[in-house]
Amino acid sequence: MSTQTVEKTIEKKPVEQVLSKRRKKFINDPLNDDNPITVQVLGICSALAVTTQMKPTLTMAISVIFVMVFSNLIISLIRSLVPTRVRIIVQLAIIATLVTLVSEVLMAYQYDMYKELSVFVGLIITNCIVMGRLEAFALANKPWDSVLDAVGNGLGYSWIILAVAFFREIFGSGKLFGWPLFEAIGLENFPNNGLMVTPVGAFFILGLIIWVQRNKTGYIEH
Amino acid sequence: MQQSNLYVIVFSAVLTIILGGLLALANQGLKPMQQKAIDLDTKKKILGAVTDLEGIKGDDIIDLYSQTIESIVVNLDGELVEKNEKGFDIEAEKVNIAKNFKKDSEERMYPVFKYHKAGDADAIEAYIFPVYGKGLWGPIWGFIALETDLNTIKGTSFDHKTETPGLGARITSTEIRDRYNGKKVFDDSGNLVSISMLKGENNSANVLDDHHIDGLSGATLTANGVNDMLENYFKYYLGYIKKSKSATEKVELLLKE
Amino acid sequence: MELINLGIKSIFIDNMVFAYFLGMCSFLAVSKKVNTALGLGMAVIFVLTITVPINWLLLEYILKEGALANSFGIDILATVDLSFLSFIMYIAVIAAMVQLVEMVIEKFSPALYGSLGIFLPLIAVNCAILGASLWMAERDYTLVEATVFGFSSGIGWLLAIIALAAIREKLKYSDVPDGLKGLGITMLLTGLMGIAFMSFMGIEI
Repeated sequence: MSTQTVEKTIEKKPVEQVLSKRRKKFINDPLNDDNPITVQVLGICSALAVTTQMKPTLTMAISVIFVMVFSNLIISLIRSLVPTRVRIIVQLAIIATLVTLVSEVLMAYQYDMYKELSVFVGLIITNCIVMGRLEAFALANKPWDSVLDAVGNGLGYSWIILAVAFFREIFGSGKLFGWPLFEAIGLENFPNNGLMVTPVGAFFILGLIIWVQRNKTGYIEH
Repeated sequence: MQQSNLYVIVFSAVLTIILGGLLALANQGLKPMQQKAIDLDTKKKILGAVTDLEGIKGDDIIDLYSQTIESIVVNLDGELVEKNEKGFDIEAEKVNIAKNFKKDSEERMYPVFKYHKAGDADAIEAYIFPVYGKGLWGPIWGFIALETDLNTIKGTSFDHKTETPGLGARITSTEIRDRYNGKKVFDDSGNLVSISMLKGENNSANVLDDHHIDGLSGATLTANGVNDMLENYFKYYLGYIKKSKSATEKVELLLKE
Repeated sequence: MELINLGIKSIFIDNMVFAYFLGMCSFLAVSKKVNTALGLGMAVIFVLTITVPINWLLLEYILKEGALANSFGIDILATVDLSFLSFIMYIAVIAAMVQLVEMVIEKFSPALYGSLGIFLPLIAVNCAILGASLWMAERDYTLVEATVFGFSSGIGWLLAIIALAAIREKLKYSDVPDGLKGLGITMLLTGLMGIAFMSFMGIEI
């Protein structure tokens, strides 16, 4: 009698590519289809007030991406260690620490920007996007995926606030990053729209951006 | 085990220590840079009232400051104050003007910055006074530099946080600041008249005398805030100005003899 | 007088929603009924009125430079500046306060607790609450000013949120273009209301 042993080749699960298709979605979706501000309706709070000019907005965007990436990374790394009861507090503590770090660094190296942003750097802590992604993604996913998710959502958030700032600065004061654009192209007396400089302008611009974006993606809220 | 009370407590304690330690480390490490940044910011503002700092780099500004500014603190009567309530030495640059504004005028500390030729503390070229007041939406502040006659304006610098760009925010522009140059604080009889912005701009030359300048069209409330701020602070520094003037007069009398 | 001016300014001119966009996140995403808005607003006013003064005390007696030296009489600590811990401490106070409010409401009014649902714990991450504490620190208020500021900011927020909820309730019967439905039209609405509130500027009693 011969026993035939069937040799099964144990299939090794292929290691997923660093930027596989599934992972690319983490970055692409939040840019438009699942944009944190305009679709998930998060993170509107702290950003709009600084969008009067491009420069502070850019600083804000970079700060938020930094906080999101590292908080997502850290929470994802310790996700199996965090007791469920204190989950929210742990998240808040980590976010608050990261934001404090950003604030201290800004105070040391970019004092003018620090003064201009004042309380809004601290308000990144309560930016719903940061907590939102921790709860919705980082707590249940691997570190690299979480980082990508943070980058995607961070970029989605950034492009919206930069767009708002673009229109507000151009129409509010005729400048871009402080550089007098209209003067440079010869339209010296282009009137400044005072409304753009006030918070009201931000609301209008954001509403219009949402309109355009939803027409393009076909998303209708009910 | 993971959800047990002991675990929660241990986890929280460890996390607190790690986060706290990280922040403390960062704070200690960054403190020198932060101090430097704040220092530079204050000094830039003070010097900016008397000279043009365009193109001068941070460290050079600090050097320039130490060579040309002598700072003192006086009280409402113009007397020198060297120690604060707690007995510590006062540094004029560290006096928080905004905080002081909240106290009664008798209890405040009034810094004075004397701008002199580099290296020669007696060759004073200007006196710089910090001022603070209320604009339309929030506080406004700045520095007024007077010539050695303690009457003519040598230069000004204003700042704000929440005034409307294009309207009240124009007080920071060179255009508005230049309007003050050469104007006088006291009239010919020695009375304090201060310098006020008139309502609107393009006023005729005969109303733009030594004590009046064009205002801000569309930003009358901010302009009023500036006027009040200047008038108030000239009043507060009157004690010091009178003392200084009589001191210089005494010196001149002595030199004549 | 100064306090009344501060109150009026915080309610109408420095309105948390219309001037600084704070506290809109959680509201915009879900609430379309005036009743929920009212309940939420009252909870926010309560939390604000308590957390701003508590954070003031924290700042004044523990966090500021030299505060530890003053509070405990230990002179060596005169240069200790713990203000870098402010963010963490403020949010901890707020989270604790909200937890307390939750427990109290659950005990005394289970109905309200049920109708507020997820909103209650979400107050802790409401930008307006932390924002008020941060502004209190930046603007150097006294304890009384801080309390008035907290209370009036809450009232301003409540007014804004109720007004928005009321309009959104009516919007159900309007023909809003598809792309603007929901968030888009709310943004435009808030902007228009913001213009209306700007008419309060310059008021002083």
